[in-house]
Amino acid sequence: MIELGHFLAFLAMTSSGGLAYVGLRGEREMAGKLAIAGFILMTVSFLILIRSFLISDFSVELVATNSHTEKPFIYKFAGTWGNHEGSMALWCLVMFGFAAAGAWTLRTGRKVFEARALGVQGLLTLGAMAYLLFASSPYTRLDNPPLQGSDLNPLLQDPALAAHPPMLYLGYVGYSFVFALAAAGLIEGRIDRIWAKTARFWAMTAFVPLTAGIALGSYWAYYELGWGGWWFWDPVENASLMPWLIGAAFLHSVIVTEKRDSFRAWTVLLAVMAFCFSILGAFLVRSGLLTSVHAFAVDPTRGTLLLIGLLAYGGFALVLFLIRAPSLKGGSEHMLISREGALMGNNLIFGVATLTVLLGTMFPLIAEAFGQVMSVGEPYFNLTFTPIMVIALVTLPVVQAWAWGRADLKTLWKWAAGFVGIVVVFWLLGVGPLDISLLAGFGFGLGVWLVGGAIWEIWRRAKTLQRLPKLPGRVWGMTLAHAGLGVFIIGAVGETSLRQHQTLALEQGQSLNMAGWTITLDDVQAVEGPNWYADRAFLTAKRGGTTASLSPEKRIYPAARMPTTETAIYSSGLSDLYVALGDSRRVDGVTRWTFEVFKKPLVDLIYWGVLLICLGGLLCFMPGRKSAKKDL
Amino acid sequence: MIKAILFSLILAMQGTQPLDDPKEEARAQDLMREIRCVACENEPVSQSGSDIARDMRARIRTMVAEGKTNTEIRAWFVERYGEFVLFRPDSEGITGKLLWGLPFMVLLIGGGFLLMRSQSSKRTFVDPIDPEDA
Repeated sequence: MIELGHFLAFLAMTSSGGLAYVGLRGEREMAGKLAIAGFILMTVSFLILIRSFLISDFSVELVATNSHTEKPFIYKFAGTWGNHEGSMALWCLVMFGFAAAGAWTLRTGRKVFEARALGVQGLLTLGAMAYLLFASSPYTRLDNPPLQGSDLNPLLQDPALAAHPPMLYLGYVGYSFVFALAAAGLIEGRIDRIWAKTARFWAMTAFVPLTAGIALGSYWAYYELGWGGWWFWDPVENASLMPWLIGAAFLHSVIVTEKRDSFRAWTVLLAVMAFCFSILGAFLVRSGLLTSVHAFAVDPTRGTLLLIGLLAYGGFALVLFLIRAPSLKGGSEHMLISREGALMGNNLIFGVATLTVLLGTMFPLIAEAFGQVMSVGEPYFNLTFTPIMVIALVTLPVVQAWAWGRADLKTLWKWAAGFVGIVVVFWLLGVGPLDISLLAGFGFGLGVWLVGGAIWEIWRRAKTLQRLPKLPGRVWGMTLAHAGLGVFIIGAVGETSLRQHQTLALEQGQSLNMAGWTITLDDVQAVEGPNWYADRAFLTAKRGGTTASLSPEKRIYPAARMPTTETAIYSSGLSDLYVALGDSRRVDGVTRWTFEVFKKPLVDLIYWGVLLICLGGLLCFMPGRKSAKKDL
Repeated sequence: MIKAILFSLILAMQGTQPLDDPKEEARAQDLMREIRCVACENEPVSQSGSDIARDMRARIRTMVAEGKTNTEIRAWFVERYGEFVLFRPDSEGITGKLLWGLPFMVLLIGGGFLLMRSQSSKRTFVDPIDPEDA
């Protein structure tokens, strides 16, 4: 059966080659058919791969090395992409998916442009398919199949595995289609408002799942790793943050191109860079340069091939860009103090922030090449990335009210007074009743400032209550996303500055106090799951009238010979009480269990904030007002 | 002698339990987030379950309790494990200056460049357009 999958994948690769050929020649109809054919072929091929995981066909090498008969159904299914080869197959499938979706929905009235965009997507897919089939084939058979597989990394055996990688890939790979649109626009030398409208649509299609995928990964790490952290500035996280930042910059820059026919060169450059950063991320993660749970395959050849792909595609696009850039100048004039100026500032800051993440991630690798061993981690990013982003956040509510072309600064003093007022309020709260640090006070002030600024902005545009529901989806989307940033910041600042952590050692029946909670260890039982056994502690936590039952576990997966922690979290919707089970020590005939207990005030706001950002992104898909259509 | 043993025992016990002074404990925890566990893949000692990370956490608390400054504590770890152990790399030397300074340099140069470009186009008068939509 897997041979059929292998064969279909070859056919799919052939159709991506055909797509590249007819697409770049400008044959829209044929390109559309080939894109859809390729997608169907790859889908069937991928389903066959999933099937061999579901039936535990250990004669397939990938299944033998990454699965196990006793693994629950969902992990057999999602385990298909819980490894290097399978995830590359998913990557290819999503690439075909975007080609097919583009073939299906692109209606710009420019047939040749559409065909070329599909053609470039075909070219990108061809590269990915060649990489899959010749350097990372998931379709390899074993001559002597083992009776049992060697199981999936237990850390990955979590329901989030079913959603986190597909979401991320919709994001990463979604930018391949934005790249294709940019390349097609550059080939034609026509980067205009219709191009911008199309590219914005597809960039949003990538941005929303990328945001959700990153947040899901962060939440997964939060509850799985057992240390209560939600962002570690791990190189792998940074690899996903860079395309996100570039994508966010693009979504702001493309507005200027769409509305004012300006910033064309810069916008198209960002469209190209977003996908380049996606491949760079894949390279960093897959090359074995970095060690992490994501680095499935430590294989330098694969890394080298990805690097060659990055240089080839990136170089191709940059050469196109350099040829066309002189013709992309112009557009409507604007002063520095204008909405254009504000969005330019946004792009400068997002660009520098991306560069900072890149620098911090690559620096240890570069230093190592010069024989110097060093580490760059959280403290570095907190002192560079964060203050740079804060500049954009502080100014956001002020500059989003600026008019296109030219704005005035007459109301600036009111804004300044408002911001200082909010910071002073939180500073007073800080030295007074809440006892938070000055920096945390500033952080909370900033979060409230952003939420308030979003409310102010929507009111400024609506002017009356009746007009509020009639505002275009894009305005609501923008406002929700900006408010979501504020909510996110309140959560992040709350978690960082107010968290409490204590290691408790409890014997059965014993109670201890921690951060207002009385925590009692009721029992510890040995439990057994389908492919693991565990010690599960039963705790009762009481605070005032609230009672929470918490049952953290320490699991052993015998097939992989690896322990994992399963934390228990009691969430109030705002704050979490978070417990991870540690070791047991037997002293004087009494067994005591250690627990890492964290109180995480406001931590849930981090995820509510991201949810608002995603919701805002989705609202941008709503059709705009009639006049906007007439406009274009 | 006994006093010394007792004292070191107390210090060792202090290692796993938070320090009494919340300010000192906060300082210790900040340090734990910037000292890298030498046995793990990519984790600070604050987030590692390994034995060595536990010892390193205890060492940090002990030194904070002894009143050592952050610089002294960092230096102590660097002496034993090398620069690798610092997640907050040194800003001394050319590499340090480059790493810490480059983001802000680019921000300033980029900002200056955009400012100059818009100054040159200021001669043409631009009418403000009130944006009704995003």
